[in-house]
Amino acid sequence: MPQWMLPLDLDALTGCLASSACLVTQTTSGFIIGMLLFLVAVGLTLIFGVLKVVNFSHGAFYMFGAYFAMTAYQFSGSFALAMLCGAAGTAILGLIFERVFMSRVYGADVLMQLLVCYAFVLIFDDVVRMIWGPEFKSMGMPAAFQVAPLFIAGGVVPPYYLLLIGVALAAAVILGLGLARTRIGKVIRAAAHNPGMVSALGINTGLIYGGVFALGGMLAGLAGALAAPVRSLTPGMGFSVLIESFIVTVIGGMGSILGALIGALLIGMIRSFGSLGFPLFTEGLMYLFMVIVLVSRPSGLFGKEVA
Amino acid sequence: MTRTRKPGVSRRATLAMMGAGAVTFAAPWVARAQAKTIKVGMPTILSGRVAQLGTSSRNGVMLEIEKVNAAGGLAGRQIEMVIRDSKGQPQEAARVARELVNTDGCEILIDAEASSGAFAVHEVARDLGVLCLHTNSETSALTADPKQHIPNAFRTARQGVHDSIVGGSYAAAIAKAKGLKKWATCSPDYAYGRDTTGEYVTYLKRFAPDIEIISESWPKLFQPDYTEVVTKILQAKPQALYSCLWGGDLTSYIDQANIYALFSQMEVFAVNMADYTALTVVKNLPKGIHSGNRYIKTYPATPENAAWGDAYKAKYNEYPTNWSWENATAIMLLAEASKKANSADGKKIAEALRGLKIKSPFGADGTVTMRAEDQTLVGYAIGWGTTIPQEPYVPQVQAGDWKTIFELEAEWKKSKGYT
Amino acid sequence: MTELQAEQAAAVPQPEAGLQRSRYFDVLIALAAFAVLAILPMLTGSKALLDFVIRCSAFGLFATSLNLLVGYTGLVSFGHGMFFGLGAYGFGLIMQRTGVPVPVAFVATLVITTIIAAVIGAICVRLKEIYFAFVTLAFQMLIHSTILSWVSLTGGDQGLRGGIPRPAFFGIDLSNHVHLYIASCALLVIGLLLMRQIAQSPFGYTLRMIRDNANRASFVGIDVWRAKLTIFVLAALFASTGGIIMALFVSGAYPEFAYWTISGEGIFINMLGGVTTFLGPMVGTVLLLILNDTVTRLTEYYGIVLGIVILFFAIGLRKGLMDFVVEWYTQRRNGPVE
Repeated sequence: MPQWMLPLDLDALTGCLASSACLVTQTTSGFIIGMLLFLVAVGLTLIFGVLKVVNFSHGAFYMFGAYFAMTAYQFSGSFALAMLCGAAGTAILGLIFERVFMSRVYGADVLMQLLVCYAFVLIFDDVVRMIWGPEFKSMGMPAAFQVAPLFIAGGVVPPYYLLLIGVALAAAVILGLGLARTRIGKVIRAAAHNPGMVSALGINTGLIYGGVFALGGMLAGLAGALAAPVRSLTPGMGFSVLIESFIVTVIGGMGSILGALIGALLIGMIRSFGSLGFPLFTEGLMYLFMVIVLVSRPSGLFGKEVA
Repeated sequence: MTRTRKPGVSRRATLAMMGAGAVTFAAPWVARAQAKTIKVGMPTILSGRVAQLGTSSRNGVMLEIEKVNAAGGLAGRQIEMVIRDSKGQPQEAARVARELVNTDGCEILIDAEASSGAFAVHEVARDLGVLCLHTNSETSALTADPKQHIPNAFRTARQGVHDSIVGGSYAAAIAKAKGLKKWATCSPDYAYGRDTTGEYVTYLKRFAPDIEIISESWPKLFQPDYTEVVTKILQAKPQALYSCLWGGDLTSYIDQANIYALFSQMEVFAVNMADYTALTVVKNLPKGIHSGNRYIKTYPATPENAAWGDAYKAKYNEYPTNWSWENATAIMLLAEASKKANSADGKKIAEALRGLKIKSPFGADGTVTMRAEDQTLVGYAIGWGTTIPQEPYVPQVQAGDWKTIFELEAEWKKSKGYT
Repeated sequence: MTELQAEQAAAVPQPEAGLQRSRYFDVLIALAAFAVLAILPMLTGSKALLDFVIRCSAFGLFATSLNLLVGYTGLVSFGHGMFFGLGAYGFGLIMQRTGVPVPVAFVATLVITTIIAAVIGAICVRLKEIYFAFVTLAFQMLIHSTILSWVSLTGGDQGLRGGIPRPAFFGIDLSNHVHLYIASCALLVIGLLLMRQIAQSPFGYTLRMIRDNANRASFVGIDVWRAKLTIFVLAALFASTGGIIMALFVSGAYPEFAYWTISGEGIFINMLGGVTTFLGPMVGTVLLLILNDTVTRLTEYYGIVLGIVILFFAIGLRKGLMDFVVEWYTQRRNGPVE
């Protein structure tokens, strides 16, 4: 067994790059990993962009989304309702969290904001443990998706993952267009740029902040709900997702939606092809990439350049 | 065998306890005097992702403690469990273990930590000389490596190397029958995963030499997404797959591999599948996964085992886990050793534990033995079978042969330079 | 960091005046503190209390050194824990593999830390604010991944096993509990004293200037990059010392020591105790450890209790305990402000 020092498995990597079947499968698998990450990361980056808050408790929304979806699915048996509950439940949670707690520390030190988030990471994990118990759970794949995978150019693609990619892409497009074209989008962008001016215009910034937090929470919750049929649910499950979405937002640039998308896909591809080439150092590869990006472009690939 | 104590001693003990109580109230750090009850400390993981390890360990312990206390306790002293959360951090495990002994006055430690936490508690046991029973660590080195050996530490858990020997010989027979030559492995990237997989492959190849490992995957422990691992294995097109993923990681992996229809394309050997936690959680359990037994109330197929499983279910409203029986065994052994030594003293119990053979619902032949030479549990029920998606989950279990296990284990120890 | 910085700037006394005198005063306090700690084992037979002080030494050195970065220089590091882990692993490995005397291993560990901290620091301190925090976090995770992957050296996730040998030197036997206790206290007191000297030195005031306005500092001819790098390395040395104490305490080293949670705990300790006073982090350390030890005794829902306590500090007080006390005290003395 290879022990250490970037155990590079070049044969596996080149072998895969030469075969269309492998290329298709691994690329879609990179997309799947990336798009779920994107849903979590885009909320993170949105909240940072508008509120200038690094929402360290974002992983908890992902976790709640999954648990809400599982419970709704158990009671109703409807997949659509499960997704809706996951998204709507976390949106409400995000709104309450922002209005009751985060709004109190906006003027304060960055570290104080982080502490409030950290406190809720601890509290939310224990709350989930109290309500749903410490053991891991599984939602189960709805019967509609228990079908044979598709074969595209020799590569394997499960239908459920096509849906997942579709939903995430739709969210990306709606978000992007919504922010660019609609009135609310313009107000949000203005609030990000100059909150004082926006509130001087008689617009309730509190409402915008709460709304952005709810939106971010909803996206993370949706990601959790979409992941629930294929990932096990445990208290603390949001954590590893949080760390990866941090990497995504930092690579893409804090506050940039396009950056979150590209960053998420990059991480997805690193994971997907890295597991072939560097089976024992895939995780390290992501951190290495993050260091390189930060050092060469501190504000990330698509972030606004900082002075 | 309960001995009545002289009243004077009892009064003094009561006074000491009251005094200690008063002091403790004033300053939490002052050690309490020895009381009539015997305190047994148990550092374990009660929060975070593997909280179930702690809760089901605790359940297993408490189920047995009740019986032991009803029968008079350890040499006439009632057992009081002091169970603390280490949050899965080794330095906390060490701190909690030390505190249990130094502050709470625990005279025995049940170390229900996993992985590195067990080694941290082991160092505390080495330092303090307190009797310590490791109940959850399956890493063979903990007892096999003479550098780790201390006279006051025992293991009442199963071991990776035992599982691998039985699993290897079971799989080799199937491989020969079905002509499975190309194998892949997929195991969590940490000591347990690496060691167990390495040993499994060794024994598989030993029993079926023409087997070839064509792909290895090492996902991280607690990795949420296994897509890239699943597709990597699909690319490699093996005929059989071995995995020692466990718990939530295993169920995630199955759910994700399911939608790629991986299980219809190869024979799957997952040593940790046949545990109720995993079996009951997976909604679409594929038929015919080969698994080692963890805890299953139908194997060994004895009334004692079924009764134990049912009693546990009745009390906690869930089935026991692998951790439950391992921890219950620790208490059974303690009680028996204390009876044999006629004492609750740690050193005397340790002496009595070496080589002790007790009746057990979890024994391959109705008994389990604390092997004297390396102070680890042997003779427990160990076997492999295939799973079905409903009870009894593993209808047929093919028992492992302990004679073979002992032979190969001795060889393995030699190859590692342990003997 | 605006609010805290403003308060801090106001609290900064005149640099040069009475520097010499205050230094003697510091040494005197340190000696007194050490004397009190050293007498403790004679007054009580409680091993648990000594354990508590040893852990306080490890985390106290770590947290106070982090405050040199966070509070004094305005460098919010999310990766300071890597040096804690580096100290534990460096020391443990040297002792296990080479069998050199303890002091040699101690110095060698610090040398290794200096080299690694200098390399990482040279890359990190170029970045500002949140980006500095992220890049330090990334390095921390990189080191953590490396520890996990490099099994042949570090033992991977199982950590350094089999105990750390500690042959006696100069009549000090660190496998003796009381000796280890005294040694930890000595390291703590000396470490705090040295950090205090750094903080009160002209260099310390340079750091405050950089924190308050890096541009102004560079205009008056200060090499900001070099100053930041220097304090980054110095802080790493004290964190590493904390790690060494922890390695001796648990007689091993574990990857968790280099995980981001240790850094997070360090930040938390600083916020709990307060970053505007030198001893704030030390107070925070004691508070957090007491909190940790008592709450885990009482409930397994530790997270909820700790979370609520954090909220009390972050939303209720909006500052660390020592900051609160100092402010309250000055207000009482000077009468209400405004």
